[in-house]
Amino acid sequence: MKQGRRRGFLNALLMLLFTLVSASPIAARAEGAAPAEIKIGHLHAGSGPYASISMPVYDALKLWVDQQNAAGGAFVKAFNKKIPLKLISYDDQSNPGTAATLINQLITQDKVDLLVCDSGSVLTAVAVPIAREHKMFLFDPTGTGAAFFSKDNPYIALLADPVSTVWPRYLWEFLKSDAAALGLKRVAILYATNDFTGTQASAIRAALKEAGSPSEIVFDQGVPTSTSNYSVLIDNIAATNPDIVLELGYVGNDIAFLRNLQDQDHKFKAVFTLYPGIETNVLMKNVGAQGLAGVFTYVTALGLSLKPEIGMTVEELRAAFEKAYGGGGVEFGWNAIAGHVTGLVIGETLAHADSLSQADLRQAVFGLSGKLKTLVGTFELREDGAQIGELTPIGQFGPDGKLAVVYPREFATAKPKINAP
Amino acid sequence: MLLHALLGGVVFGCYFTLVGLGLNLVFGVMRIVNLAHGDVLMLGSFAAYFLFHLAALSPLSAAPLIVVGFFLLGLPFYYLVVPRLAASRDAEMLSFILFFGVQQIIEALAAIAFGSSERSIPGRALGIGAVHLWGQSLPRAWVISALVALAAVLALYLYLYHTRLGLLTRAVMASREEARASGIDIHRVSAIAFGIGLALAGLAGVFAPFMLGSITPAMGSIINLAAFAVIVVGTLGNPLGTVLGGLVYGVGLLLMQTYLSAWADLLPNLLLILVLLVRPSGLLGRRVRLA
Repeated sequence: MKQGRRRGFLNALLMLLFTLVSASPIAARAEGAAPAEIKIGHLHAGSGPYASISMPVYDALKLWVDQQNAAGGAFVKAFNKKIPLKLISYDDQSNPGTAATLINQLITQDKVDLLVCDSGSVLTAVAVPIAREHKMFLFDPTGTGAAFFSKDNPYIALLADPVSTVWPRYLWEFLKSDAAALGLKRVAILYATNDFTGTQASAIRAALKEAGSPSEIVFDQGVPTSTSNYSVLIDNIAATNPDIVLELGYVGNDIAFLRNLQDQDHKFKAVFTLYPGIETNVLMKNVGAQGLAGVFTYVTALGLSLKPEIGMTVEELRAAFEKAYGGGGVEFGWNAIAGHVTGLVIGETLAHADSLSQADLRQAVFGLSGKLKTLVGTFELREDGAQIGELTPIGQFGPDGKLAVVYPREFATAKPKINAP
Repeated sequence: MLLHALLGGVVFGCYFTLVGLGLNLVFGVMRIVNLAHGDVLMLGSFAAYFLFHLAALSPLSAAPLIVVGFFLLGLPFYYLVVPRLAASRDAEMLSFILFFGVQQIIEALAAIAFGSSERSIPGRALGIGAVHLWGQSLPRAWVISALVALAAVLALYLYLYHTRLGLLTRAVMASREEARASGIDIHRVSAIAFGIGLALAGLAGVFAPFMLGSITPAMGSIINLAAFAVIVVGTLGNPLGTVLGGLVYGVGLLLMQTYLSAWADLLPNLLLILVLLVRPSGLLGRRVRLA
């Protein structure tokens, strides 16, 4: 009790310090004349291994900024008027070292009003401590690593993806209930060793090892994110005779895994991979409907058709995205949606913040928690800035390449099948 | 598990022999380091991708076209860049810098032209399913890629050891100055070797979508690291030593994946450090370094 009170006091003290410090140099422009533009600092990976998840976010964010500016700018409550937005986005080439330098540049040289980091946990990881050091609030589109969020860091909010410890909740629930009832009890976990998938693997492992769990982990190995061939790994997994294989990786990992699986004799009763439901277009083009048939995955907004209270629907966004960038080699998928959601949160933040100080921006972002309903669901933040809304159900691809929701039951449009097809 | 890793490693290593072969030939003949080698391979991948999707050409049919196309591209590029580079005081070091720039340009242009999303050629293009060897099943595409790689090694061997031009090439590899003094047109010989180097990279690129799962404009730098490990292990400057380097790399990688999977991507760096510390001249040593 005493400890809890002391922690509460410390948190309150921390917030007070945050408010005092943030009210000063970088951002405090509240009482002065309205700026000619609001500067949004951002990083994207135009090349390198993370380009395929970063570029759609960047393109969709740019699209949102262009749309706002075409309408005269974003409404900024602090000045009670619309102000044009300026997106300053540098290419970090998927290099964390370059990303660190550029984040510093955005803060110290460009003196941006709002700071948005690059996509994915690998490139977000370098931005978190720098933003904190400079007391800049970090708008984190998709960096879901659990280590980024702690109660002593008030300078971050995850916008478009659930935090990695929460994201797989439906997956472990499914494994322990419906999947176990189907006889899928022996679980193999193969994951890429990065913050994103590593944290998901840890969360799933912990849930499956809880007392009373019907599941048994028979294979549990990490591989480098750069892994591009899985033939031997599939053979090693098969040797442990699992009922279901969970392969957790980035787009390239999932493509290589599913292609290698097609090429080998080993047919598992069930397979779960991450990206077929996230970047469905890319996976469909690379693996094909035949390779995806029967695969379990997360079902994102792409497969849910949620009705947003703000911003575009998935189909409207897809049409706008393809009109703006069609044929440019950047596929529309979940990451494009994440870029749009990032724009929406920024827009709502500006519309609700009393000033452009970092403390007021933070307060505005957290004020949206539980109230903002976008095309990905309800935006909901935990005290430490981790996203806990926008949960993704579990789906399964049919032989026709269509994705049906199989868990949780309240969203289910089909029943899970094993040995499918 | 061990047998599968060993067998898979040999097959995978054959492909990585092809990946490193052109790089080693170019270094052996010209003493320049083509840091853009991985990006040339990437261009070969995209050429195969577009030939498959736009002209319905299977990778095996596209391969000869790409080999010829890249060879022809290599000739003017050689005359544009290499003679000046070779005449400089420190050609090896300058080539690092120059080809690093070339690599950056190729990757940036490819990202603009092709976008950043992963692409691949459907597995059916080389036949889906497994090939059974000694009770182990290996992806059909791996086996075909390995056979093509072995054919390329054989062709290069025949060229170097059973043709007059190959003899001249080996003379240039032994000593550029002595070859020039003997009246050999070293630029003609080198240009052809450079073209062959690019053609081999292009050929390796044709099979990259099958061996690496998918292709992106960013794949070049990862390929370069593997290629360097292969040629340093197999003896820098000795194209046929690349076979040994490829096999060590392939078997090592798959054994790492089996027993220490999380550390598998350290392998190229470990091999490089180990060989440079213990046997800097490569596993085949100096006696055969000059072919």
